[in-house]
Amino acid sequence: MTLQEIVHLYHRVGFGISYAEATALENKSREAIVNKIFSDSDTFTSLTIDISELLSTLEVIKMRDRKKVRSLIKESAKKVHELNSAWIARLGTSNQLLREKMTLFWANHFVCHDKNILHIQQYNNTLRKHALGNFKDFVIAISKEASMIKYLNTKQNRKQKPNENFARELMELFTLGRDQYSEKDIKEAARAFTGWNHDLKGNFRFRRFQHDTGNKTFFGETGNFDGSDIIEIILKQKQCAQFICEKIYTYFVNDQINDAHVREMTELFYKEYDIENLMRFVLLSDWFYDKKNIGTKIKSPMEFLVGVHKVVPMQFEKKRELIYLQKLLGQHLLFPPNVAGWKGGRNWINPNTMMLRLRLPSVLLANGVISLDEKGEFEDDFQRLNARQNRQRRLKVKADWQTFTAANKTVSLQQLQKTLLVSPINKGTQEYLEKLEKEDIKEYCIQLMSLPEYQLC
Amino acid sequence: MKRRDFLKRTSLASTALLLPKFLSGFNLLDEAVATGKKLVIIQLSGGNDGLNTIVPFRNDIYYKKRPSLAHQKSNLIGITDEIAFHESLVAHSNLYNNGELCVINNVGYPNPNRSHFRATDIWQTASDADEYLQSGWIGRYLDVSKSKSLDAIEVDDTLSLALKGELTDGIATKDPNIFYKTTQAPYFKKVVSHHDDAHLSEHNLGYLYKTMVTASSSAKYIYETSKTYTSKTTYPNNKFSKQLKQVAQFINSGLQTKVYYTSLGGFDTHANQANKQKRLLKVYDEAMAAFIKDLKQQDSFKDTLILTFSEFGRRVQQNAANGTDHGTANQVFLIGSQLKKQGFYNPMPNLTNLDANGDLIYDVDFRKIYASVLNNWLDIDAKKVINKSFSGLNIV
Repeated sequence: MTLQEIVHLYHRVGFGISYAEATALENKSREAIVNKIFSDSDTFTSLTIDISELLSTLEVIKMRDRKKVRSLIKESAKKVHELNSAWIARLGTSNQLLREKMTLFWANHFVCHDKNILHIQQYNNTLRKHALGNFKDFVIAISKEASMIKYLNTKQNRKQKPNENFARELMELFTLGRDQYSEKDIKEAARAFTGWNHDLKGNFRFRRFQHDTGNKTFFGETGNFDGSDIIEIILKQKQCAQFICEKIYTYFVNDQINDAHVREMTELFYKEYDIENLMRFVLLSDWFYDKKNIGTKIKSPMEFLVGVHKVVPMQFEKKRELIYLQKLLGQHLLFPPNVAGWKGGRNWINPNTMMLRLRLPSVLLANGVISLDEKGEFEDDFQRLNARQNRQRRLKVKADWQTFTAANKTVSLQQLQKTLLVSPINKGTQEYLEKLEKEDIKEYCIQLMSLPEYQLC
Repeated sequence: MKRRDFLKRTSLASTALLLPKFLSGFNLLDEAVATGKKLVIIQLSGGNDGLNTIVPFRNDIYYKKRPSLAHQKSNLIGITDEIAFHESLVAHSNLYNNGELCVINNVGYPNPNRSHFRATDIWQTASDADEYLQSGWIGRYLDVSKSKSLDAIEVDDTLSLALKGELTDGIATKDPNIFYKTTQAPYFKKVVSHHDDAHLSEHNLGYLYKTMVTASSSAKYIYETSKTYTSKTTYPNNKFSKQLKQVAQFINSGLQTKVYYTSLGGFDTHANQANKQKRLLKVYDEAMAAFIKDLKQQDSFKDTLILTFSEFGRRVQQNAANGTDHGTANQVFLIGSQLKKQGFYNPMPNLTNLDANGDLIYDVDFRKIYASVLNNWLDIDAKKVINKSFSGLNIV
């Protein structure tokens, strides 16, 4: 593979690649490199933070003790922020590149939010576990997750009073896409999921007496279906395979869909719904390496932040600042805007986020200042609020330039540019770059990262 | 170029922009000089306790439900035989007497949500309680009126959902000077003056550059226009006053921007409410007094409408911590000199008819107020912005 192809591939399956790593792969075949990507992601390493204290409290707590329950809930919400940081750290360090990238993708497909750390951590690991697995198993596992059961009201879905929320989103957002089913299908599917519930620890529990055992007619089939049957019938619709392939194509290839390519993918995926096979097909296809698919995707805030971190490792001393940065950029992991998730693509960019992205590399890596006024927090008292006004301050970030220098000792500025920028470069920008006095590779690195071209991958 | 120089240069001013061809059809600024109407929106974040803001001081239920929090008549500013303003609302009581204030009581929506985040989204997107929209009502106003980003400014570092449209987002800036400096990168000047840009026009990269041009030209316009006016009015020294001072500077300098958005936080008074709310309302009231004085001095008040809301009111029954918990309906203030309805639009909420949570049952849907403002003040078909038909209230 050519250097450009390797850099492109690693931007899509991960968050970029260093020049040294890329050149080490240069004389290898596409098959060999893609195989390595899959074997690196073969195993599954769950992401866990320390919640032992919470767990032991849970063992002894009495639900009637409202005060203790309240403090438990508060503690749990705090831990969700901890999981947020741990997840971002994982993205920046894991060798299971594709599995982690897919986990990020699925998190914005099976969108869910929960303040219960025990449940949301388990949910997050279910995404990770099935990220490259069988799609049917995946959908069933997601439907049985405590966080999902709460998020889309499956918990309130009972024989006597069905709640359609999950059934609707299952089809509209998770499997078929909008308007690919009738209202009757939703009603019947909701009946099949009645009685699906969970216990305090987040295990799936089937409540027999809340389940509707009558016959349901769904997509022309009639029977005493339960939720898993419904999912099976949904997957029989080719539309399901196509819907998922379109989403994968948009995320990993190009946000402009090529019908012929998606058709090829759909034919393959429909056979067994094997996600790994599908991804292997995409990464091995010639069109994946077409010029028009290279450097054309707008990086998500996570791709941007983690990408910078991969080049110059950063450490946020204050978790709060990393959270605030995620909010500013428009992607706060574990806190999706709604069940449809982040729209992505051009929706990441508006005048404010654009200017912020262009400034961030110097703020993060060169001690630049940034205005960090947070919007009036709901519970802040006025003194604190006022004391914080108009602060231009430095983020408490440690940039590890030593790692960068060590990795780039023998790398030329040209070579660095080739690994950082995958998009074609605007002529005016190119002229500007050529005129720069290039003495220091660190400075050049920041300059490259401050370009609009760096927003693309 | 040294890093220090690079960083310094990114904060240097550039000269006029020479636009590349693909941007030439892209009209950066409205040609018409700004003379039109302005809307200023203020969110009291956290859920202001409406019942202690405008007080039914003859209502026994009010005193029964708030044994330690109810205001006594002697501590209030009397308005009618039954209603009085919180003692901090001095300027507002003057506005009331001048016919420049309209209070719409008991504003809400069906199936109210008591979460700050969700309720804020509902108010900002003008959605139903069970509808999740990704664009705000002001953002959609920009879309429908084919306005530019700079036609809606939030005086803050981040943009609220209210100002995010499907096509166009408003601009967030607290300080036009800093905003301007950050948009003047050297490569940018170089890049936009370059004419060979065939590949840019359809590519995502073209979109990025276009967005940069919008940011930069908006920043330049805002900076250069707004510096022509310096306020002579003294404002209190706090963050909220500073925001309003900035808005006054924008309006009085003749900026074309039609909608301004600001917020004052801290109203989530679950405990020891009395002093906190007193202080916050004082900050709000005094800032508004200075703001309106500033506008009046430049004769721009007549073209300005100010809308103040909070994402919800608070529970009628106080809690054990001398505070109040999240509730539902609340009042909305409209301030201006061209109000069609002055004083109280409707009666105070009914304290005998509460919902299962012990919360107020709303009387006026907030989207009716938005519809009136859009139709009658901003001259746009409200239906297209709200996506539903709401009859207006004949208030502006």
